[in-house]
Amino acid sequence: MAQLTLDEVTKTFQDDDGEIVAVDKVSVDIEDGEFLCVVGPSGCGKSTTLRMIAGLEDITRGEIRLDGQIINDQPPARRNVAMVFQSYALYPHMTVRENMAFGLEESTDMPDDEINERVEQACKDMGIFELIDRKPGELSGGQQQRVALGRAIVRDPEVFLMDEPLANLDAKLKAEMRTELQELQQDLDVTTVYVTHDQTEAMTMSDRIAILNDGVLQQCATPLECYHEPNNLFVAGFIGEPSMNFFPMTLEGSTLRGEWFEYELSDETVAAVEGTTDITLGIRPEDIEFVQGNGPNVFDSTVHVVEPRGNENTAHLQFDESMDDQFIATVGGMKQLKAGQRVKVRFPENAIHLFDTESGEAIRNRKLDEIETVESVV
Amino acid sequence: MREILSRLLATGGRLRSAVSRDESDGDQLATDGGATVKTTRGDSLRNSLPIEWELIESAPFWLPPVLFAGFFVYGAIAWNFLLSLTDYSGLGGAQYETFDFSMYTRMLNDGTFWQAAQNTVVLLVVFTVLCLALGLFVAILIDQQIRFENTFRTIYLLPMSLSFVVTATMWAWVYNARNGVLNQLFRLFNLEGALVGLLRPAGVNAEVVQWLSWNTTALAAVIFALIWQFSGYAMVVFLAGLRAIPTEHYEAARVDGASTIRMYARVIIPQLRASAVSASVVLMVFALKAFDFIYALRGSQPGANMDILATMMYRVAFDSLQWAYGSAVAIVLFALALLVIGPYLYSEYRRGEL
Amino acid sequence: MSIRDGGFIDELRSTENSRIGLYAMLLAGIVFYLFPVETAVMTMFKTESAFAQTLPFAPPGADGFTLEALATAWNTLRPGLLNSLLMAIPATIVSALLGSMTAYGLTTISWRGQVAVVVLIIAGIFIPYQAVLVPLAQFWFQVLPGLLNGFVNTVFGFITGGNWQYPSRNGYVQLLQLSITHAAYGIPICTLLFRSYYQSISDEMIEAARLDGASAFSIYRNIILPLSLPMFAVTLIYQFTQVYNDLLFALVLINEPASQVATQRLAALTGGVVQSFNTTMAGAIVAALPTLLVYIVFGEQFAKGVAGE
Repeated sequence: MAQLTLDEVTKTFQDDDGEIVAVDKVSVDIEDGEFLCVVGPSGCGKSTTLRMIAGLEDITRGEIRLDGQIINDQPPARRNVAMVFQSYALYPHMTVRENMAFGLEESTDMPDDEINERVEQACKDMGIFELIDRKPGELSGGQQQRVALGRAIVRDPEVFLMDEPLANLDAKLKAEMRTELQELQQDLDVTTVYVTHDQTEAMTMSDRIAILNDGVLQQCATPLECYHEPNNLFVAGFIGEPSMNFFPMTLEGSTLRGEWFEYELSDETVAAVEGTTDITLGIRPEDIEFVQGNGPNVFDSTVHVVEPRGNENTAHLQFDESMDDQFIATVGGMKQLKAGQRVKVRFPENAIHLFDTESGEAIRNRKLDEIETVESVV
Repeated sequence: MREILSRLLATGGRLRSAVSRDESDGDQLATDGGATVKTTRGDSLRNSLPIEWELIESAPFWLPPVLFAGFFVYGAIAWNFLLSLTDYSGLGGAQYETFDFSMYTRMLNDGTFWQAAQNTVVLLVVFTVLCLALGLFVAILIDQQIRFENTFRTIYLLPMSLSFVVTATMWAWVYNARNGVLNQLFRLFNLEGALVGLLRPAGVNAEVVQWLSWNTTALAAVIFALIWQFSGYAMVVFLAGLRAIPTEHYEAARVDGASTIRMYARVIIPQLRASAVSASVVLMVFALKAFDFIYALRGSQPGANMDILATMMYRVAFDSLQWAYGSAVAIVLFALALLVIGPYLYSEYRRGEL
Repeated sequence: MSIRDGGFIDELRSTENSRIGLYAMLLAGIVFYLFPVETAVMTMFKTESAFAQTLPFAPPGADGFTLEALATAWNTLRPGLLNSLLMAIPATIVSALLGSMTAYGLTTISWRGQVAVVVLIIAGIFIPYQAVLVPLAQFWFQVLPGLLNGFVNTVFGFITGGNWQYPSRNGYVQLLQLSITHAAYGIPICTLLFRSYYQSISDEMIEAARLDGASAFSIYRNIILPLSLPMFAVTLIYQFTQVYNDLLFALVLINEPASQVATQRLAALTGGVVQSFNTTMAGAIVAALPTLLVYIVFGEQFAKGVAGE
């Protein structure tokens, strides 16, 4: 049972050119039993943050608390955390049993038979009991992954730390392990911090996502909130695949003027963006509608490339041949589009996101109350 | 040793527990004092240590061996330098009273020193260059997907596993003027007379080539034998370098239509620069250490043709008991070695390879 | 004939003839690298008159064959061989162990400024031993005996009566001194060999062990040491060869004939006035035997040690 708190945690490195800030005043409260994913592009400081929680890196400023206790200067072993590494970091000369027992032998006074019992139980839980006397070299990647998880579980830690644990698995196994990990975390109900660069992993597994960029926490919220109500341009662009489309615009009266089109805003929206003139308009590919006939906020465009994905098609569109960047719209897999085809697209006002171009802050997001729930069948 | 280690570790443990006690104090403050804690944090014992924890933690492992080796290597070199400033000679203990550079000025006026220094440099350069060339050639031959590769490699490297004394003994027989292999072979092909005419130094009257005593051949004979012994080493280093080059580079060069020779000259050999540098540093150092070979071949008085600084130093110090003068020669030898390895270590350091 | 992709020397490989040329060159290499050894082996079985009259690389005829030279050489060298092993084996083990510890403290545990220590250690590999020879003799024969005599006679004066003398001339003491000297000078190269190996060990694994609660000592004992076994083979074999083959330190530190090592005895045999080449060749082969055996059995490890891998 553990609540993990990061309070203005900062990490700086000394470089030839001076100080480099790797993690900048990151504050997050992670609830007991919560599954938090930390995502961001490579070099954003997510691994450094995890390593500071583990005690593998010193904390330059700020503090990390576990159930209210400051653990900044605790050596890793005393923090009661267990970590799963990307490379699994199994000890190659030890059997699965020895690998899993090592931590208990080193950090507790537990008698050998109890250690053995716990190791065997953990192996059974992980479905690797028949591999218990093998060495890591004799195991497949997926099996090694289970041993690495088992090694973390057997310690019965207060916090699980995982550093891209699925990155070395192939796509199919990765999807399998994703579900399994999620179930395991729910069963054990252990506070978990999970670092990944893969936003799909973050979306599908976590209770909340913390998005880092350049060492700064951009947003920490549930997957749906991050998707539908991004705090800023970075989060809006990072979460979602394919990414949100962005168009730089200028507000004149109630009209957003851009290089390719003009967008008419409702009075309500104009009131919401009051005072900002440089505005970036964002719209998710699946929110773009293909329509017949003209109307407000309907624009002519040409299909440049179509990528069929089976369940849906991704269309790369251009307003004009001279437009360098394309924007992307997705349509259902049963709707056919052809390259070169002229189409009319509509950006519905309730789906658009507006950002202050200068600061990147979101000033109007799409409304979450439109989300429908699937009725249960009694 | 073990006991000292565990005691040191126990101390480390106490330090750590002191650290965590300090933290729990800080915690109480935190619950009471709220926001003020931040300023009182960070002064725990571990953080207040003037040096990194990892340094303390690792010291029991590296410090004793480093002190042990450091005493014998750097302590001895410093001591040697000190001795070179005295005029210590003969039996009895060293007198550390007056220090000057008289031994070094004496050296500058000593013809033997200049001869030995010249031989040392020639040996160093010629041996290293030829060794690299032969080693590279053999490595390329071995890298042709040959059968019995391991056998060939093992045999080519075998001389390096032998002592200088053993190889010197063998080469003394090879070079023997009357019955040695070399002269017997030349005799077999009726080349001996021509060779004697070609190599005989002025004023010498002989019918067989005296490989180890003629001033025309003595140093070359030593260099040749050393190449025999160490080209296998260059081969091993180059082979590792060749194996590290991706197959695609050969294929790309072939697709580009390069001939084999051009492919090696333009694509492959330039990539072996690192191998060549590290091999030549080691080879040069071997050349500076060639003392054992020459001593076993000719004793401590190998004659001016074969005398190198290493043999001169030994002779001056341990035969003539001119300790201070020997030390001064040793310092010159050390400076030469430094000249070779200094730039190498510096460039390795700059490339982050250390 | 198998032709692999990415092969080289087209001109050599593309036809049978060129392939034969390649093997001819490789065989010429064997002749080049082995002929001094081969002539030595042949000569050691020849009588005085036989080695003077036959070609050195030809085998001895029935009338020219003798084991006498080998017997003489063996009798001369045997005590030296024993001394060499007695001195070289402990020196090798100590160097390897200390080298592994040093490398661990300077590689696996990382701290700021360790590169400076590493540079000093690596530079130590390349020191010409002439630069330490005079101090070495001073230390073992003058300073250390002086200090020990003073210490023992002061502290234990009531037993020794002030007459204790450090046994500088004792053969075993001299061998021990030589062994310690070799152990010290072997540390740098052993450290380098272990260091490059430890650099390849995954950082994440060491971090996992730290999270598992292992102390620096426990990580060394339970993880690094077991993983180092192949590297110990490389280091022990390489270092044994180096120590056994050395002549210079032995010349300076061993002056009791009874404790001379093999290389010293061989050098004395070679340097004799009368050159009986059958005896000196037999001596060379006998003296080379331990390292040759090690090389033939563990050639792979030796090659790795040589390449600094």
